[in-house]
Amino acid sequence: MKIGISRSLFYFKRPVFFEEFLKNLNCEIIFSPETNKLILEEGTKISDPETCYSIKVFFGHLLYLDKKCDYIFLPLLKKNEYGFEYCPKFFGLPDLAKNILKTKILSAFLEGDLEKFAFQIGKKLKKEKTKIKEAYLKALSSEREDGEKKFFSFREKMKSPLKKILLISHPYNLYDSFVNLRIKERLEKLNLQPLFLQDLPYEILREREIKSVPKFHWEFGEEMIKKLDFVLKEEKNIDGVIEISSFACGCDAVLKEYIEMMVKSFEIPFLYLILDEQTGEAGFQTRLEAFADSL
Amino acid sequence: MPIVCKNMEKITFPRIGNYTALLKIFLQEIGFEVVLPEKTTAKVIFEGSKNSPEMFCFPFKVNMGSYLSALEKGARKIFMVTASCGSCRLRYYAQVSQKILKEKDLPVEFIIFDQNFFDIIKKLNQLTKKSSLKILTLILLFLKEIRFIEKIERIGFFLRPREIDKGKTDKVLDEFFLKLEKINSLKELRKAKKDILEKLSQIPYEKKRVPVVGIVGEIYTVIDPEVNFHVERKLGELGLEVHRDLNLSYHLLKKIFFTDFFIQRKVSSYLKSTVGGHGRDAIFEMLKYSKKNFSGVVQLLPFSCMPEVTVRPILLKIHQKTGIPFLSLSFDEQTAQAGLETRLEAFADVVKNYFEKKEFK
Repeated sequence: MKIGISRSLFYFKRPVFFEEFLKNLNCEIIFSPETNKLILEEGTKISDPETCYSIKVFFGHLLYLDKKCDYIFLPLLKKNEYGFEYCPKFFGLPDLAKNILKTKILSAFLEGDLEKFAFQIGKKLKKEKTKIKEAYLKALSSEREDGEKKFFSFREKMKSPLKKILLISHPYNLYDSFVNLRIKERLEKLNLQPLFLQDLPYEILREREIKSVPKFHWEFGEEMIKKLDFVLKEEKNIDGVIEISSFACGCDAVLKEYIEMMVKSFEIPFLYLILDEQTGEAGFQTRLEAFADSL
Repeated sequence: MPIVCKNMEKITFPRIGNYTALLKIFLQEIGFEVVLPEKTTAKVIFEGSKNSPEMFCFPFKVNMGSYLSALEKGARKIFMVTASCGSCRLRYYAQVSQKILKEKDLPVEFIIFDQNFFDIIKKLNQLTKKSSLKILTLILLFLKEIRFIEKIERIGFFLRPREIDKGKTDKVLDEFFLKLEKINSLKELRKAKKDILEKLSQIPYEKKRVPVVGIVGEIYTVIDPEVNFHVERKLGELGLEVHRDLNLSYHLLKKIFFTDFFIQRKVSSYLKSTVGGHGRDAIFEMLKYSKKNFSGVVQLLPFSCMPEVTVRPILLKIHQKTGIPFLSLSFDEQTAQAGLETRLEAFADVVKNYFEKKEFK
């Protein structure tokens, strides 16, 4: 059975888990390619003009996968296991995708209970219960391994003698190098060490309490704020912070206010970049260079 | 005259359409000294968007502008009702505006209410030291008056496309709402109510069938005619009767009777889960309108409003399926009157064609 996974948006929330889980259930997985210009154009054409850049990219990926597989994997992410909500735009994705796709959608609610979610998916693929359980546990352990690896590499990068720039954004902006206009390479060329905030594990930072910032009900808001607080207070030697946000992202409008406040209270240079389908590379490069000079 | 508690700081609240004056009377009755938020003019919008985060939604910027003008007039406390259980940005309105005003060094205190009656009564009780029973009766009275405002608006919607001397209804209504802002007690309100009903009944109108247009969308843009640049009035002038179910009372009753479950069942073939805000209600209302004898649906939303933007493709799908004319208008501080009018005129032509075709059948 062929299952298509679009390599954008929700996939980056749990890349290892989704992939490993379906693989362990003996499904053949077709990935959409990394975002390219064609995908972006197709996505922009079909999606609502006022929706955020990331959703436009996502629909491009879905259109690529259409008719190439038996099912398209598109879960309805509502709450993560700590009870925090995903972006409200995620809630409508399967229903919107249903309107434009000819391929069937493999979907299930994720409302806090990851195991229940896994069983629902497995049931729809007509797999046995013991097998689903096995696949779920395996996927979970490899996700944990991956998290540790990322954390380790983050620690390694912290030791680097270069000036360190912390990149804050949603995972689908950070790990998609087309969307963020290869910001990692650009920074490396400018002799800076980029660090992804997303590489930090959330589990160990759960208990932190931050008084100056309201408690966010969005999982990414909660994670970003606590991770940033950890980096600013414990790691200390950060030379600059860049926040990337996709145009018309409603949640970032709120988060940016507080992230900027936190960073500025430590007197660290802060750059806020908004990306959309019309962002020019030249202007982007100029702003990065100017920022690098200000450090 | 209501007894005003001494040593109490002046309060203000975000403007909310034609209900603003009512809310003022109600708060004065409870015993607060109120600064009435200024009308949403171009200046208020400009000041608001200058001081708000760039990517925040339009209602926030309008609220910000009205706070700033009220603070100039001496208000020191801001009442704000937020959705502490919703999924969208409304949840952080109070916190973010508090932060911005604090950074500007303005002496202001926020009193944040939850969208639930117990919380509102409890907090009002603490602030005024009045018995909960009295506050409760006042709230119930307030709810009754809300229904009256909606009734007046409904009569306006009915009269506008039918009136014989054009513009008469608007003149009467404008006068009434202006008068309402100057009223300070429930007694005067009762008199004004009688007066307006009499005046409206004297407006001569033709008895004819006109196409009816339903309005769906985000609560603040739908309710406040100053934020949606008087779309309802313009539609009326173009010869269309407007119908609006998403009133304040609709949302308040929904909170009391938990009709969300019922609505979800109705829309589940289009949308399986809530998308925050009132996205689900928009689909529900549009389905209802398309089944009834309506000739068009208008969706009003602030630019990049998360729930409404998410459901818009679904509304478009209903439009394609049923053929009912559909227009989606998004508003922000850069919306121009002329462009809006052109779109509405074109839409009115489509609606009239659709209506005539249906009548002909």
